[in-house]
Amino acid sequence: MSPAVEILQGTLDLLILKTLALEPMHGWGIAQRIQQVSRDILQIQQGSLYPALYRLERKKWIRAEWGASENNRRAKFYTLTKTGRQQLERELADWKQMSTAVALILQRV
Amino acid sequence: MNNWRRWFSRKKKWEQDVNDELRFHIERQTAANISAGLAPEEARRQAVLQLGALEGLKETCREQRRGFWLESFYADVRYGLRILRKNPGFATIAILTLALGIGANTAIFSVVQGVLLAPLPYSEPERLVMVWQYNLTLKHVISVSYPDYLDWQRDARSFQQMAAFDSQDRNLTAPGTPEHLNGEEISSDFLSTLGIMPILGREFLPAEDRQGGTPAVLISNRLWRDRFAGSVDALGKSATLDGVDYTVAGVLPADFRLFGDDVDVYTPLGQGDRLIYGDRTIHPILCVARLKPGVSVAQSDAEMSALQERLVALYPSADRGLGANVKPLKHEFVEDVSGTLLMLLGAVGIVLLIACANVANLLLARSAARRREFAIRSALGATGARIVRQLVVESVLLSLAGGALGLVLAKWGVHPVLAALPGSLPRSGNIGVNGSVLLFALGVSVVVGILFGLAPALKSSRTDPQASLKAGGRSARSPHHRAQSSLVIVQMALTLVLLVGAGLLFRTIRHLWEVNPGFDARHVIAFNVGLSPSANSTVSSMRVAYQQLIERIRNVPGITSAELTVLYPLSEHQNIGPFLVGSQPPASIAEAPRALFYWTGPDYLRTMKIPLLRGRYFSAADTASSEPVVLIDSVLARAYFSDGDPIGQAMTIPHWGPVRIIGVVRHVSHWGLDERDAYTQNQIYASLNQFPDDWAPIFYRRLTVVVSTPLDAAAVMPAIKAAVYGASEDQTVYGIQVMQDALSQSLSSQRFPMILLGVFAGLALLLASIGIYGVISYSVIQRVQEIGIRMALGAERRDVFRMVIGQGLRLALAGVAIGAATALILARLLSSFSHLLYGVGARDPVTFLAVSAVLTGVAILACYIPARRAMRVDPMVALRHE
Repeated sequence: MSPAVEILQGTLDLLILKTLALEPMHGWGIAQRIQQVSRDILQIQQGSLYPALYRLERKKWIRAEWGASENNRRAKFYTLTKTGRQQLERELADWKQMSTAVALILQRV
Repeated sequence: MNNWRRWFSRKKKWEQDVNDELRFHIERQTAANISAGLAPEEARRQAVLQLGALEGLKETCREQRRGFWLESFYADVRYGLRILRKNPGFATIAILTLALGIGANTAIFSVVQGVLLAPLPYSEPERLVMVWQYNLTLKHVISVSYPDYLDWQRDARSFQQMAAFDSQDRNLTAPGTPEHLNGEEISSDFLSTLGIMPILGREFLPAEDRQGGTPAVLISNRLWRDRFAGSVDALGKSATLDGVDYTVAGVLPADFRLFGDDVDVYTPLGQGDRLIYGDRTIHPILCVARLKPGVSVAQSDAEMSALQERLVALYPSADRGLGANVKPLKHEFVEDVSGTLLMLLGAVGIVLLIACANVANLLLARSAARRREFAIRSALGATGARIVRQLVVESVLLSLAGGALGLVLAKWGVHPVLAALPGSLPRSGNIGVNGSVLLFALGVSVVVGILFGLAPALKSSRTDPQASLKAGGRSARSPHHRAQSSLVIVQMALTLVLLVGAGLLFRTIRHLWEVNPGFDARHVIAFNVGLSPSANSTVSSMRVAYQQLIERIRNVPGITSAELTVLYPLSEHQNIGPFLVGSQPPASIAEAPRALFYWTGPDYLRTMKIPLLRGRYFSAADTASSEPVVLIDSVLARAYFSDGDPIGQAMTIPHWGPVRIIGVVRHVSHWGLDERDAYTQNQIYASLNQFPDDWAPIFYRRLTVVVSTPLDAAAVMPAIKAAVYGASEDQTVYGIQVMQDALSQSLSSQRFPMILLGVFAGLALLLASIGIYGVISYSVIQRVQEIGIRMALGAERRDVFRMVIGQGLRLALAGVAIGAATALILARLLSSFSHLLYGVGARDPVTFLAVSAVLTGVAILACYIPARRAMRVDPMVALRHE
């Protein structure tokens, strides 16, 4: 747990959207995926995951449906919507711009 | 109903979903933890821990839900209502306090709204203006000369319409019984300028609005119903005014008021007397105009000034020294009272602040007792913001209840209060509880609820739940104590400000009462007599008729003396004219000094008991054939004859001629006891026996009889009326004015705010003493243990008593100091207040000391009961207490 980095506020939305861009997924799966893909560096505060999911659902960026999980249990799956995809692209572009800018400053100084 | 059910079932399903989802998460995480090598029990425990406090998490999820805000708000309201129901005593006191505060504010606001804010009852009133002439020498606006008006009307481009009017009292003799009526002479486009349509007939034609036009009259709705049975046939019928038959041309709407007065007959101005309306140096009329759309008051003012300059060049002997200015019509109505009303609104706002401080103190005390409840809620996952919101909802509920009750108080209270106050508020018929007043009450309630709820709520939300739970809701010393003390200090300070204001006005009224009006107000009654039209035909028959009338009145038992006059003091009438002194007359009459002209019978000065300072009174020897003579008052004598004896000196009175001064009399208070704003203080007396014949018909129409009598008006007036009617049945007696009443009426501009400010200060004093009582009592309860220890260690009961009183006294004195400083600053800033003062400075030390002593005394009294209670603390009981 020690190398875990806390996720910046606001970045969580981007990570969730990106994760769901691959396939519909349930909450626990999203947390696992983010952790795995980041090679365990990013540790999601599980407590903050669900409010974020509800928030994104209210903004109609993701849609929720009950379905069967991989072990055949009833689970709530989240799917990226069309507006969610647009939002993801916007946020990705912002993120790239920002990280380029930050990188430039860090190199220069 | 169906909506509710649907909403409810949807909410239930949503809750179920969240539970299922989180359960699924925990299951998967448990499974994952087991495969990572944890024992099943520990795996599940870790899974739950990783997710965090479950209820808090659910609540955060809920907050993301659409409509959550409303939903939880509803829950807060329900919870708040339940809490208040469980504490009926607290709720009642808080609601009553707020009802007083909000009720008083709503009442005053309804006055401000009705008088100052509500639009005038004419169409597009914001485009209506008054156009005045301005006397540059006297630095005062004056009414307008009719020839100048006609020139303005012809040339001005800023206005859509311009109209003139002038009041002209009338005696109606037919149809029906003789009656004196308020009348007005108006130009032909007067009604259309205001945007008023007669309900029957038409307004005057331009052909009627000039010399030689057919006599036509517009009548009020009341007169139409009383004299013409409200019939359509009234049009074309005739009404006899001052012996002349006028044809009824139209009837006005029932709610039409000319600037608040009840006027019954309107006649064409253009048919008015040539002597008055034909002379450019005489200024009888008022001018109202409607701005063209898009033209501002300032633009029209600039145009009128330019027009007036042209008139000055054309007619220098009449118009030099005159400017013109334009003011919004509403300004004319309310200018005098707007400052006073806004000051009262401020004062009543202070009362509300004090009431709020009381309720805030109650809430602080209560929130100390509720600390355990908040601790439990925050342990269960409620955020600080959530608790603050809950508390603010509770306080807003309180203030809304208080506001509703206050609105009822205001609705039922404002008219009796206005009726009881002898103040003459313009437009007071317009005052009532309407939409904007409701909105005001609602707004004030909500703002006030947030205001007094927020501070205690913020304090509560910051308490540490752990400490509170451990302390079990009790602690030796409340952390709110400081906040409560500051609130009490603020209350004391605000109360002192109000007390100072009321005290200064009280002293002002006292001083005004001591002002000598310069005449014998106690025994004089004034009234008017409408002479029979048959006696009105020629000047000499009129003089004879009046002479006979006054002789008959002198013979009424109980009348010491009686005399005729054109003008008398405190009558709210004026007769101002120019006079010229010395060998170098000014180039224009407008630049000549002005004086009040009292054309009186020879016995007037003796009847009014106006003391003669030099020279002699009028005598029977001063007649039309002898040299014209005048008496002047002491003010005029000092201003223009300071270097010698005025007796025997000459003056010139325009429109009359050269006159000789035969006496100096004491100055009388013509405009009221407080004459600082008077247009002119100079006074000139001339004898009616020497009155120029050509002017007589105009002035004789409004002759007043003044009588001196040791009897009450009620006792003597019937006999006087009998004497008047005895001569001719169609004569009317009207405008009866008891001088003593007029004198007290003239104080109304100060008495009205004094009474209200006094009531507010009393309310503030009551609320503030309740406030300090509450805080000191509370602190005694909190300190029972400490007091017990002190007494166990040897403190005397007296010391304890002194300690508690001292605590209250410190708060009171701090409040007095801050309040006195505030009052000093406010007195300088509020010119509308300091302007009301008379004979006393805004920083009057006597007032400041007196009210400070009163406030401190009341505060000590309020602390007496808790101090006694503290004194009686039994140390043994107190020490076992916890």
